[in-house]
Order: sequence, then C-alpha cells, then structure tokens
Amino acid sequence: MTGALLPLFVAIPLTAAGITAFARPGRRWPLTVLLAVLAVHVAASALLLGATRDGEVYADGVGGWVPGIAIPFAADALSALMLTFTGALSLVCCWYAIASGVGRVRLFSPLVLAMIAGVNGALLTADAFNLFVFIEVMLMPSYGLLILARRGQGTERSVRGSRLYVTFNLFVSTLFLVGVGLVYATAGTVNLGLLAGAAKEDGRVAAAAAVALAALAMKAALVPTYGWLTRAYPSTSPAITALFSGLHTKVAVYAIYRLYAVIFDGDERWLLIGLVVCGVTVAVGAIASVGEQSMRSMLSFSMVSHLGYILVGVALFTPAGLAAGIFYLLHHMVVKAAQFLSAGAIEDTYGTDRIDRLRGIGRREPLVAATFAIAALSLAGLPPFSGFVAKLVLVIASIDAGQVLLAVVLIAASLITLLAMLRVWNAVFMSPVPEGESSTRRIPWSLAAPGAILAVVTIVLGLGAQLLIPLTEVAAEGLLDTTTYVEEVLR
Amino acid sequence: MTLLGLLLGGWLLTALAPLLARWLGHRAGWPLAAGLLGLAAMALMLGYDTTVEQSVPWIPSLDIALRLRLDGLAMLFVALVLIVGALVMIYSTAYFRGKPTVSYYTLMTAFAASMTMLVLADDLVLLFVSWEFTTLCSYLLILRSGPDAGPPAARTLLVTVAGGLCLLAAVATIVVRTGTTHLSTALADPAWSEDGTFATTVAILVAVAAMTKSAQFPFHAWLPDAMVAPAPVSAYLHAAAMVKAGIYLLLRFAEPAAHAPAWSALLITVGLVSSFIGAVFALQRTDLKALLAYSTVSHLGLLTLVIGVGTTAALTAAVVHVVAHAAFKSAGFLYVGLLEKRAGTRDIREVGGLWRSMPLASVLILVAAVAMGGIPPTLGFVSKELVLDGVLHGPGLWLAALVALSAAITVAYSGRMVVSTLPGAPTRLAPASGTWPMVVAIAIGAVAAGTFGLVAPALDPLVGRAVAATGGSGDVHLALWHGVTPALGLSLAAIAAGALLIVARRGVDRVLDRRLFPVTGVGAVEAVQRAVQVTGRRLGDLTRTDAPAAHLAVPLLLIAVLGVAGLVALTPSWEAADSTAVDVALLIVLTGGVIATVVARSRLGAVIAVGVAGFSVAVWFFTLGASDVALTQLLVEILTVVIMVLVLRHLPQQFGRRSVRRAVPAAILAIAAGVVATLGPLVFTGRAELSAVGRWFVEEGPVETGGANVVNTILVEFRALDTFGELVVLAIAALAITALVEARPRVTRPVLPSVSSLLAPAAPNAVFINVLARVLVPLMLLGSLYALLRGHNAPGGGFIAALIGAGALATRYLGAPDDREAHSGLPYLAIAGSGVVVAAVSGFIGYAERSFLTPLHADILGYHFTTSLIFDLGVYLAVFGVILGALDSLGSPEEPAAKAGDRR
Amino acid sequence: MILALSIGVLVAGAVFLMMSRSFIRVVLGFVLLSHAANLLLFSTGGTSRRAEPLGKSLDPVLTADPLPQAFVLTAIVISFAITIYLLSLAITGGRDEDDEDGDDA
Repeated sequence: MTGALLPLFVAIPLTAAGITAFARPGRRWPLTVLLAVLAVHVAASALLLGATRDGEVYADGVGGWVPGIAIPFAADALSALMLTFTGALSLVCCWYAIASGVGRVRLFSPLVLAMIAGVNGALLTADAFNLFVFIEVMLMPSYGLLILARRGQGTERSVRGSRLYVTFNLFVSTLFLVGVGLVYATAGTVNLGLLAGAAKEDGRVAAAAAVALAALAMKAALVPTYGWLTRAYPSTSPAITALFSGLHTKVAVYAIYRLYAVIFDGDERWLLIGLVVCGVTVAVGAIASVGEQSMRSMLSFSMVSHLGYILVGVALFTPAGLAAGIFYLLHHMVVKAAQFLSAGAIEDTYGTDRIDRLRGIGRREPLVAATFAIAALSLAGLPPFSGFVAKLVLVIASIDAGQVLLAVVLIAASLITLLAMLRVWNAVFMSPVPEGESSTRRIPWSLAAPGAILAVVTIVLGLGAQLLIPLTEVAAEGLLDTTTYVEEVLR
Repeated sequence: MTLLGLLLGGWLLTALAPLLARWLGHRAGWPLAAGLLGLAAMALMLGYDTTVEQSVPWIPSLDIALRLRLDGLAMLFVALVLIVGALVMIYSTAYFRGKPTVSYYTLMTAFAASMTMLVLADDLVLLFVSWEFTTLCSYLLILRSGPDAGPPAARTLLVTVAGGLCLLAAVATIVVRTGTTHLSTALADPAWSEDGTFATTVAILVAVAAMTKSAQFPFHAWLPDAMVAPAPVSAYLHAAAMVKAGIYLLLRFAEPAAHAPAWSALLITVGLVSSFIGAVFALQRTDLKALLAYSTVSHLGLLTLVIGVGTTAALTAAVVHVVAHAAFKSAGFLYVGLLEKRAGTRDIREVGGLWRSMPLASVLILVAAVAMGGIPPTLGFVSKELVLDGVLHGPGLWLAALVALSAAITVAYSGRMVVSTLPGAPTRLAPASGTWPMVVAIAIGAVAAGTFGLVAPALDPLVGRAVAATGGSGDVHLALWHGVTPALGLSLAAIAAGALLIVARRGVDRVLDRRLFPVTGVGAVEAVQRAVQVTGRRLGDLTRTDAPAAHLAVPLLLIAVLGVAGLVALTPSWEAADSTAVDVALLIVLTGGVIATVVARSRLGAVIAVGVAGFSVAVWFFTLGASDVALTQLLVEILTVVIMVLVLRHLPQQFGRRSVRRAVPAAILAIAAGVVATLGPLVFTGRAELSAVGRWFVEEGPVETGGANVVNTILVEFRALDTFGELVVLAIAALAITALVEARPRVTRPVLPSVSSLLAPAAPNAVFINVLARVLVPLMLLGSLYALLRGHNAPGGGFIAALIGAGALATRYLGAPDDREAHSGLPYLAIAGSGVVVAAVSGFIGYAERSFLTPLHADILGYHFTTSLIFDLGVYLAVFGVILGALDSLGSPEEPAAKAGDRR
Repeated sequence: MILALSIGVLVAGAVFLMMSRSFIRVVLGFVLLSHAANLLLFSTGGTSRRAEPLGKSLDPVLTADPLPQAFVLTAIVISFAITIYLLSLAITGGRDEDDEDGDDA
C-alpha cells in the first residue's frame, strides 16, 4: 500500500467515464464498465480501510512535487470509511437504477462514473482549492443525472427542480470558492497541511475559513438553507434521489468534519454556533417531515433532520461526539438510501409516491414494506437497527459534553421521526387494498432487492455495531489529533 | 446450561415459531407452550435459590455486553412471563383454530423472549433494547389484529416509545455519570446518594418510562386503545407481562432511586390517581374487555403506589400483588375471549344466564373475580392486605383510606362482572366443541389466584428473594391470616363498601353514565399528532416553491446581515494606494455594463450588456498582470455571448414586467450584498508581498519545469490535478447538456422576423460572414494549434487554444445560412470523452516516474517536450467538445435529438 | 480599493438579477457573480504587484502572484461550463418566467 495509488480512485473512474462517453445509444457495455469500476472501487476502499484501521495515514503529493506545492491526496480511516460506504452504496443504487430504467438511458454510466470520481477526489484531497474543483466534478454530472430520462420523457417538474438545484449549488460553490480565496489571502496557502490550526491562531483566517464552512453547511442543507434540498430531491427519478442522498450532502458533511478538525483544530470557541444550528435543523426537519404529502418529500425533510444529527458530532468535538457523528453519518447513508429505494420501487411501479393515492401496499408488497419498515424504525432509532446505536452514542456523547438540552432535542426529534414514518406506514402500507382494484401490478424482484439489501445492512450494523465502532473511533482520533495527517500531507 | 442458553432458547423458539406455525397451524401453540415451560424449568433450576450471572461481549468498544443476571426479582418475573406465556399458547391453539397464525405465534414467542431478556438484563443498553423489543412486539401484535388497528396501534406505539425514550435518556445519563453500562454496578454507584440532581433526573425519567409502559395516568389511554388486539394478546401483553415491565423497572430501580425525594412523591401520586380513575372507569364500562383494561390501570396504579412507599412491607406487597394480578387478570381476559367466541359479544348487558350455559367457565370467572376483588381466601386478599399494611406503616392512615376507597370500587366492578352475567335467562351460545384448551388455560390462572392465598407461606422463598433483590429485607412470611390488624379492618371495610355499591348498582350506573373527563386520552394523543402535522405542513410551506430566487434569498440575507456585522468588526483598510487611473475607468465601464444588464427590458439587450461587463473584467485582469487570464476571460465571454444569443432565439424578446413589490426588497438585498462584497476584499486582501507559495512558483517554477509561463506551468504541472478536474467538468457539461436535450424537448417559439434577421441571417445576408468565415476558420484553427504548442512558455495553452478553435466553429455557425448546415457533424461526445481519456493517460504515464500526473521530459529533435503537452491536448479536446456540443444542441431550432441521435 | 468597489458593483447587480422571476436574468446574475468571484480570487494575491509572471528570472517584488491566476483560470472555465448548462436549462423548462408560487400540490 502506497499513497501514490490514491489518485487512482479518481483517475480510473474518470478514464472509464471518458471511454463510456463514446458508447452509441442502446449499448450495454458501459453498464458493465460502470459496475466493474464500482466493484473494484469497493474492493480497493475496503483494502484501504484495512490499511488505515490503526490510525495510519497514506498521502501522496500528486505529480511528485515538493510538499506544500503539490496537491496532496491523503487517506485516513475517515476517508477510507467514506470511500467504502459511498462505493458500496453507489453499486446498490446503480443496480436499482438499471433495473428501474433510468440506468439504461444513454450517458448514465459516464455521468455516474464522473460523479463518483468527484466524490472520491473530494474525500481524498488535502487542498482546499482542489476540494472546490472536485465538488464541481461531482456536481456537474449530477446536473445531468438529475434530468436523466428516456427520450422526451423528462418532466417539467424535473427541469424546474434542476434549475433550483443547479442555481443553488452554483451559488454555494461560488461562496465556497470565495472562502477558499479568502483563506489564501489571509494564510497564503490552501494546503490543509500548512493550514493546520491556522484558524485557531489567526482570527482573520478563522473568518475566511468560516465563509467556506458556511458554504458547506448550506450544501449540507442545514437550517435555514435546506429548502433547496427538500424541493429538488423529490423532483428527479427515485433512483437518482437515492444515489444523491448517499453521496452529495454527505461529501459536504465530510468536508465540514475535515476542515474544522484541521484548519480550526477543533477550536472550542465556535462550537456553540454549530450546536444551535444543528439542534434547530434536527427539530425543523423532523417536524416538517410530518406534514408532507408525498413519500419522497417526507424523506427529504427527514434527511434534513438527520443531517443535523450527523453534524452534532463535529459541533461537540469530543472523542465520543466525533465517533458518534461518524457512525451516524455512515448509518444514515445506508438507511436513507434504503428508504428512498423502497419508496422509489413503489413510485416506479405504481406511478406515484403521494401518500393519499397509495393504498394497501403492505399486503401486496411484503418485501418492500419490510424494507421501508426496517429503515423507518432504524431512522427513528429503535433497536436492533443501526439507528439505535447511532442515536445512543450521539445522546451519550451530548450528555457527556454537558449538552443536555441538545440531548433532549435529539431524543424528542426521533419520536417525531417515528410519527412521520407511522403516518406513511399507516396510510400507504397498512390501509386495505382498494375495492375493485384488480391490478396485477407487482414490484419486480430487481427493484425490491437493492433496498432490501441495505435493510439487511442496517440490521448487521445494529447488532454488529462492534464491526464499525472501533473504526469510527480511530477516525475520530484522527480528527482530534491531526498530527499524523498533517505530517503525511507535508511529507 | 447457562443464562445465555436461557436467552438463546427463547430466541431459538422464536425462530422455530414460524416453521411450527406453518407446519402445525393453530396447533403450534402446544410445542411452543412446552418450549416456554421448558425454559421456565431451566430458569428455576439455574437460579431458584442462588443468583447467577453471565456476561458475553457485544459492543466492547462501548462497554456494552450481554450481561445477564438471574436474581430473585428476575426469577419471579421470568417464571411469571414464561408460565403465563405457556398458558396463553395453550389457549391460542383453540382460539385461533382455522385462522392464520404464523405472524401471531412468531410475535408472541418473540415477545416472551424479549421479556425474558428484559428481566435478565444486567446491562443498561440491553435493558433498553429489550424494553423497546417488547414495545415493538406489542405494536405489531395490535397491528395484525385487523384492518382498523392501524391508528390505535400507532397511538400505542407513540406513547410507549415516548416512554422508551425517557428510559434511553435515563440510560444515557447513568452511563455518563457512572461510567459503566453494567446495571448492578451502576445501581450501586455512590452518585445516587451524593448527586441529588442526578438521582432526581434519573428517578423521574425512569418513573415516566415505567408509567407509559404500565399505562399510568396520564399515559393510561393507550391500554384501552390496545384492546383491539385479540384476547390472548391482551391477556399476555396487556395484563400479565408487558405492562408489568414498567413495574419491574420500578422495582429494579427502587433502592437507588429512593435517594431522590421526587421518586416517592411522584409514584405515590401517580399510582393513587391511576388506581382511582382506573377503578372508576372500569366501573363505568359495560364492555368486559374495556372493564378489565381499566382494572389493569387501577391495579398497576396500586403497584406503582406501593413501590413509591418503598418499605420492605410495601415492596413485599408489590411483589405478591404482581403474582396475584397476573393470575386473576390473565384468567379474566382469557375468559372474555372465550365468552366473545361463544356468545359473539362481550358486553355485560347482552349476556346472561351463563351459570347454566357454560357452568365450568362461570365458576372459574367467579373465582377470578373474587380474587380481583380481594376477598378472602384468595391470593388477591392476601396481597391487598399487604398493600394496605405497607401503606399504613409508611405514609399513614390517610393514604390507606384512599387506597381502601379504590379497593371498594374494585370490589364493585369485580362483582358487576359476575352478578349481571351469570344469573338470568341464558344467552344463546355457539357450541363449546374444541374450546377445552381455553378452559384449561383459564382454570390454571383462576385456580392459582384462588388457592395461593391458602398456601401463601409456600411463596415465601420466591417472594423473599425478590424483595431482597429490590433492597428490602428478604425475611418474608406470607400468611392468609395476620390476626386482627388495622389493615384487616380497612380491607373488610372496603369489601363491605364494594358490596354496597354492587347492591346499589342501578344508582351507580346512573351517576356514572356520562363523560367523566373533559378530554379523553385517545383524543389527546390524536390532538398532539394533528398539531405536529399542521405545524409540519406550515413549516414545509415556507419552502414550497421551485423559484430559485426564493431559495437564494435566504443565504443572501444571511450573508448580508452576518457579513456587514462581521466585516465592520474586522475593520477594512481603505487605502487607495494600489489603484490606478485605468482602474477607475474600468470601474466606470463595468458599472455601466452592470446597470445596463439590470435595467434592460429585452433579453438581447441584457445579454449584450453582460458582455460589456465581461469584457471590462477581462481588461481588469490584463491590467493586473495576467494576460493568460485576460485572454481566457475574453474568449469565454465571446463564446458565452454567442451561445446566449443562440438560446435567446427560443425565448420571447422582452422580459416580463417587474413588480415593484418584488424589485424593492431585491434592490435592498442587492445593495447590502454589494456592500459586503466591497468590504470583504478590503478586509481580507491587499497582501503586499508574495505568499511563500507564490514566491516559490515565481523563483523555482521555471527552473523546475523549464517553462517560462509560470501560470501555465502551474496549470498543467504543479496543479495539473485541478486542471484535470476542470476539463472533466467541461467534458461532462457536454454530456449533461446532451442528456438534458434528449430528456426534455426544448421550448419552441415561432422565430420572429426581427430576431431571425439579426441572429439567423437568411442566405443572402450571410454571404459576407460566409466569405469571412472561409478565410477566418482555417486561420483560427491554425492559431489555435500554435497557442497549444507555445503555452508552456508564453500566453496560450490548451484552454486558450481550444477556445480559439471553438471561436472558429462559432464563426462558421454564424455564417451558415441555416442551422442544418451549421451543424458541425462532429461527434462531440466522443471528442469530450477522449479529452478526459487523453488527460488521464498522460497522468498514468506519470507512474513510470513517480506518481499520477508526474510530467516526463524528453528532448526530441532539439526541442524540449514534456508529457504535460499531452495533458494540454486533453484539455483542448474537452473544451472543444463542450463548445461543439453546446452549439449543436442549443443552436438548431428544431428538435435536435431526432437528427443528432444517429450521428453521435 | 477600486477593485473592491468593482466587486461590490458586480455582486449588487448579480444579486438583483438573481432575485428576478426570469430564469435568463438569474443566469445573467450568475455570470456577473462569477466575475465578481474571479476578481476577488485574483485580489487574494495582492494587487500592488502587477508584472506578468512570464519569463525565467522574475523579480518577486514586482511580479503578480501566479497562483491566484491559476485559480482564476480554473474557476473561469468551470463557471463557463455551468453557464452553458444553465442556458440549456433555460430553454427546456417550458417557461422562462416563474410563477409567483410553484406549489405542486
């Protein structure tokens, strides 16, 4: 294992994206390439995870230039965990996309491959400007995926959603770029290794980096800038919503963890702001999710709430808090995708995801109903699912850090989440099959299975939390003490 | 044989249950009952007279383990849970004859396993997990009972989960304060006596958790709600076992929690209120099941109360009453199930003469009712006397009197159950065939409740060890007859008063035949649900629009407010020293362009004005010493304007009217943002000297790379990864645009003459441009090649070269007589894709030397070449691809996909 | 200081355009916004040294900082790509002007 191989996480998917762009319409080989690349990606990141599980950091100055000049790529346990989960999740979501039809639309493969490359680059880079570039590499293909549909089948809603999504993200990216620029103006570098602790020492660097962090918080859909997500996510095809839910906001969340740990060195002076914003986000997202009329809107608001939970970890910035936040992050990627996929399987088969138009799904679709139920209970933090462990460790960490009020909000919001889930459950799944509906529509196995697999994962991560917790603790340790990371970046 | 075996046995049985139910149908209850009894026997053998412990690691990182402990209290509850479970299973074999039972048996067994786990748990997290398991089992068992069960099941779940969350909060608090998840250790921690806040917080949280589980006021509403479940479920979960989980929890925490004064006060108050209103509501009901449900609330209230009293006598009373209640209440519910099955109703007004039509069952329910009323010589009498005795020797006579009052009402409703159903004219019943297992199950419960009073001392060891485990003295001597004591007096007085109430039952009914409470529990839960939903809907409405302006206004407002505040605090420097006269001129032109863009009424005008602003920015870059940037900006600006013009052909000429209502706030926001954007650079920038990195590039860059154009060497060598990303963005833009125009037909608009004359010149008008293009296009392509090659040393490079090349295409496009000819016919997706591949390949070559994108140098024919030239070629292709794609996709007025599809 | 004012003017214009109902105006707003961002990015290296970083032996006291220039070049091209995409969205949406309310209920 050597750090010099890290750029391959970007280079290989991009090469594949370039090659698959050549494909003529209707050809299947790009899908083979896509799945193969994703499979290799998952395997490679699992290896990386094995290599970083004791706190090792691998780094490479891309191009071989001197430290401080070259753009550094660095991987620690946190990056490796993220790479593994994003890769595996992409694989499952691509399977669903292919089964549901979106994946067979031309250009699906190159767009997804480029997006994965952008995600990987953002997870690996240790250079603030390069982070901006890779976020763009991730976003540009997403714009294409957002409206991807069979010829002439795109809806006006999807274009309006795209307009919102693209403009908001462009705005936020511009703000992030400005933040990075201001960091350069004040600190004279954009290299994370050189920036280590800079914001703790110099108020001007802190203010500059705060601009970049604010932009990332907007990308992570924290209150009050969450409306774009809850509008745009339900406007695209279900497969793409599921894919995005696991990748996009999560990259922003990762970047917040990383930048705050390195540039601010976990500066305690600003944590209260984070706690307040996260607490309000948790509450607002949960409450709003109860009032929604369609499954994907409900899930999108619920996602906002859980993004708040995830970022509580960094706002606490204690060993327990960071580890809990990271665990919550990984758990949420899996479970939210499971739920979007189960809702999507219903929508793709029955033609709507509106709560008031779907009836009796539970009786007709036991597997999808089970997936939804497991994911819902997991999101609400009930045992034996991963959400329970995630909530437990986060609540313990909050109380441990003296944030009792926050713990109360976290606990209360999980009850409201349950309320939102129950509302959908009762209306869509438990209601009787409408009289006289002789429809023989059934969700095909290939649409039900991807979500079901993720539902199994949440059970495994719940009962087998020990598989993941030591890794999240190592990742948290790497954020608390960035010495090794910084040393490797500057080697 | 270990505790783990006991636990796993329960779960193994759960795993077998669906198979057995599939194979044996309703008869699966027999082997399951045998299994549960086997587990009970195992528990008794393991820990009848000794405390056993076992620990298996689960999540060692968090110190969470499957810590199991079978002490006296756990023993009592394990026995209760498994034996009643077995009875219910036997009962079910008849009750569910001919009905689907797979999910029923699975969930019931899972519940038995969960309860066993709960009472064995010696780990706080395991305790909580089991607690929630029982909640989930209860929810699912209610849910499966029928099509209308959804809402009541949901209400039950919400109330019990809310209580569960209190337990979670308690667990988290304890773990944080005591540093362990080991229940026994945590309960013995000195923090309970030393830290009053901690003890009080946890005591209240635990009490509330138990109150929800045990249906105590004000959370009692879910229990009658849960009665939609079939009789065996009610008997097991909602009478004998699950609701007792709350009592178990209270008993488990009784010793340490007593350090908090709030504990005792809360439990006594809540217990008294629940016991009283439960009894009154029970007396009011004519539905036997509802009557029993409220009776459960009342009896559990009594238990809560005595646990709150907390003396050894009181705890003894609690433990005995747990046993007594489980026996007579399960018999009661099971009897109601039998009655419902045979009579088709469970309303006491609709049945009568059961003495004659089902004599055996009538005897049994009479025994159960007598025990429930606490009449000698039943176990119910023994436990009630203990309760009264405990209260008398604790808080005193006043409380004992109140308890006796509630006991009197208990006697009254217990009597009502029998006096209005057993005598009289017989109701027609369905045949009894095959119901004998049901009668057996009822009999065991009723007989236990009726006779254990006579053999009360036999319970001494079991009860004594249980009391000892809760912190009381284990020296317990139960007896039917304690001599003439004040408690006996109160007990007899209660019975007498109850008898009076039975005699005067018509009068009582008249008094009670009304709503006793302004709000019902069900109504309250529903109101909360609705309120949250309405609030949620309103919250969602705040962002329910797709208009970008609405969503962008939020962050802009934030920036404006926070920015002004923050930047003023950081004191900007207003020095104009670094400005020149040219700068001022540029500012003026720029401002003109911006204003023109903002006020333009026509789309074309706005585009041209934006072009002006863009050109002045390009000149800005030039004056600041960046000809590469300036050139790029210029070329980008030209191409942007060309593409915009193409796009405008599909849109109306004029913008819609701007409303003042919208413009004024927009202007205020704009000015605020402008102020922040002006202050920002003044605060943060103005670096006088080169940064260390900048200095390195200036001094070492040319030496390291051999290229004189420092900016270009940064782009293609030092930070080639940035450039790689950027060319990917470009190439993918081509793909995204293609995806967009394929998915969604473009808006079409009749091409207006005025616009077409300007933008899509008819053939004659195009002659001039056409001729010009013929000369210009090859020249520009040549120039573009030149720029590509020289980029390393002078202004130029892949971007600029490609932009020049694309400019050639744009010229050709504008010169073409119509769009059909304008189409380049080039496979732009492939060009863009190959750009990415070429750049990546040049990066892979770097591995030959050191790492991805490491440039390799070679001298060929006296010229110095590096692999970064290949990289630059990739950049060139990507840029070229995207512009070609944009021109081809956006240019033609007709549906492009149809024509373009086969070509690409 | 004049550069700062230019950035301010561009941002003010951009924000005003971004608040309008016409999507084309919003796009134009973003074009101006990216100009502003690029100028700001440029100014992070300092604007008092204005000599081109061209040549093999440069005077660090006079030469403009090349790194922000490279950043700006990258940023210009990225925003160009996104602008093109936004323009294609402008003609596929159905309408350019938004409704006052876009509720889908």
